[in-house]
Amino acid sequence: MILIKYNSKFMINLIKFYFIIMILFTSNAYAYLDPGTGSIILQAILGFVAAAIASISLYWTKFKLFMIRLFKKKENKKK
Amino acid sequence: MIEEPGSFRDPAAKIFYKNNKVYRKLNKTGVERFNFIYEKKIFQKSIENNFLISTKVLEEKEKTTIDLKIGDFILEHEKINYVSYPYEWSFNQLKRAAIFHLDFNLFLLELDATLIDASAYNIQFIGHKPIFIDVLSIKKYREGEPWKAHKQFCENFLNPLILKSKKGVKFNNWFRGNLEGIDTDELDKVLNFFDKLSFNVFTHVHLLNKFDQKFKSKKTLNPVKIKHIPKKNLILIIKQLKKFIQNLKDYKSITLWDGYSTDNSYTKDDELRKKTIVQNFIKKNNFNLIADLGCNDGEYSELSINSGCKNVIGFDFDINVVDSAYQRAINKNLNFLPLYLDASNPSSNLGWNENERKSFKYRSNFDAILALAFEHHLAIGKNIPLNELIQWLVNLAPTGLIEFVPKNDATVTKMLELKGDIFPNYTINEFEKNLANISNIISKNEISQSGRTIYEYKR
Repeated sequence: MILIKYNSKFMINLIKFYFIIMILFTSNAYAYLDPGTGSIILQAILGFVAAAIASISLYWTKFKLFMIRLFKKKENKKK
Repeated sequence: MIEEPGSFRDPAAKIFYKNNKVYRKLNKTGVERFNFIYEKKIFQKSIENNFLISTKVLEEKEKTTIDLKIGDFILEHEKINYVSYPYEWSFNQLKRAAIFHLDFNLFLLELDATLIDASAYNIQFIGHKPIFIDVLSIKKYREGEPWKAHKQFCENFLNPLILKSKKGVKFNNWFRGNLEGIDTDELDKVLNFFDKLSFNVFTHVHLLNKFDQKFKSKKTLNPVKIKHIPKKNLILIIKQLKKFIQNLKDYKSITLWDGYSTDNSYTKDDELRKKTIVQNFIKKNNFNLIADLGCNDGEYSELSINSGCKNVIGFDFDINVVDSAYQRAINKNLNFLPLYLDASNPSSNLGWNENERKSFKYRSNFDAILALAFEHHLAIGKNIPLNELIQWLVNLAPTGLIEFVPKNDATVTKMLELKGDIFPNYTINEFEKNLANISNIISKNEISQSGRTIYEYKR
């Protein structure tokens, strides 16, 4: 993981899009709103992709394993 | 009649106690909610399937015999031996409770019902088995309605589990500080980029937090548009979350007392002597509920159950050994519930009006205590004055076994190594004098060459 963090700009660029929208959401909190609002929005989204979640999760895991293996290979070569 | 001050959150019913029994009085809304689950047989099926605590509707005749008002709608619940709270559970106990909660919700959805909340306090343990205690948390499911308790589920169950699993930080002290669990906002700040690569952590923690922040910042007072979420999608979300929780692993840091029962300073003979004393003490009494203080991995709790005690609640301040003890309880199907307790800072009265969650002392209704190799952790380890410690122990139960560990024992020597011997009064004579002052010493048995001695007291 340290290797990924420091040696792979590629990895970071690849996943950046996943987070970039989220950064736009950063804002202050106000206490008078229903604390469940975010949860309901989230469920609507999760629900919408619910049927696909299982496969996305599967591919995501595969992708992660692939990346880890890829960088492990690089690390071994360096050694 | 004693009203339960902690049962105010749902105004539809009120818990009260009478003659050592637990009742729930329902108001009009409560009766309507209950009638739905009763008529649809959801209530009966939930009990049959071991989801809901054994409960019966009181008949008019029964009400008069116990001096309750005719016409009131009253339920009687099975009494739980010892009420525990999520901040006293280990990782695997909270995980078990979380999966149990989701399973119950899935079971109810099949019957067109759902849970209105997701409070971890609504789950209790009978032995090692979780059970749902709040009948009125079940309501009719309307097609398309979202899982309103999702956020509460995250705070009460998911977030503490993620915190321990990803970061190795035990959730107990944090949970006890904020009785509603761990805020999604706070957890999101603690987790790093790599933790959030997990799809479920990303969505249920990071994304949920960002959505919350975004909608809070809109400063609008307009009513929230409730999205339509088809039932099949709702079930998929819950199943996905369940699978994720099932795969979460405890992140165990190495702790001092891990493996203590297999790696300690006793010889085989010492251990045998100790076990015989415990066995004889349990056998000659007919205990229903005892506390095993400093239970470690539950060896003596198991011995007590095998010697005839019906229920044992174990306490230890090492969260890893609480978890090992819990595994023992499951593997051997024992009526044994181990819990996290730092005896120098036990659970206090907490919540609204300091009455909602009860202190350790308040809940102590034990028939006996076992305090084996326990007192020196407090008297030497935490500088608790010996007389106060003995008083505290004796107050917990009318009888019990207390092991005194002298200064020349290897474990105490180790504890004093850096501290220096600042306890001139820590002697067996002083211990015995203090114990005799407040109770009768029934027996006294030396169990090791170093002079470890087990006292049986009766107050």
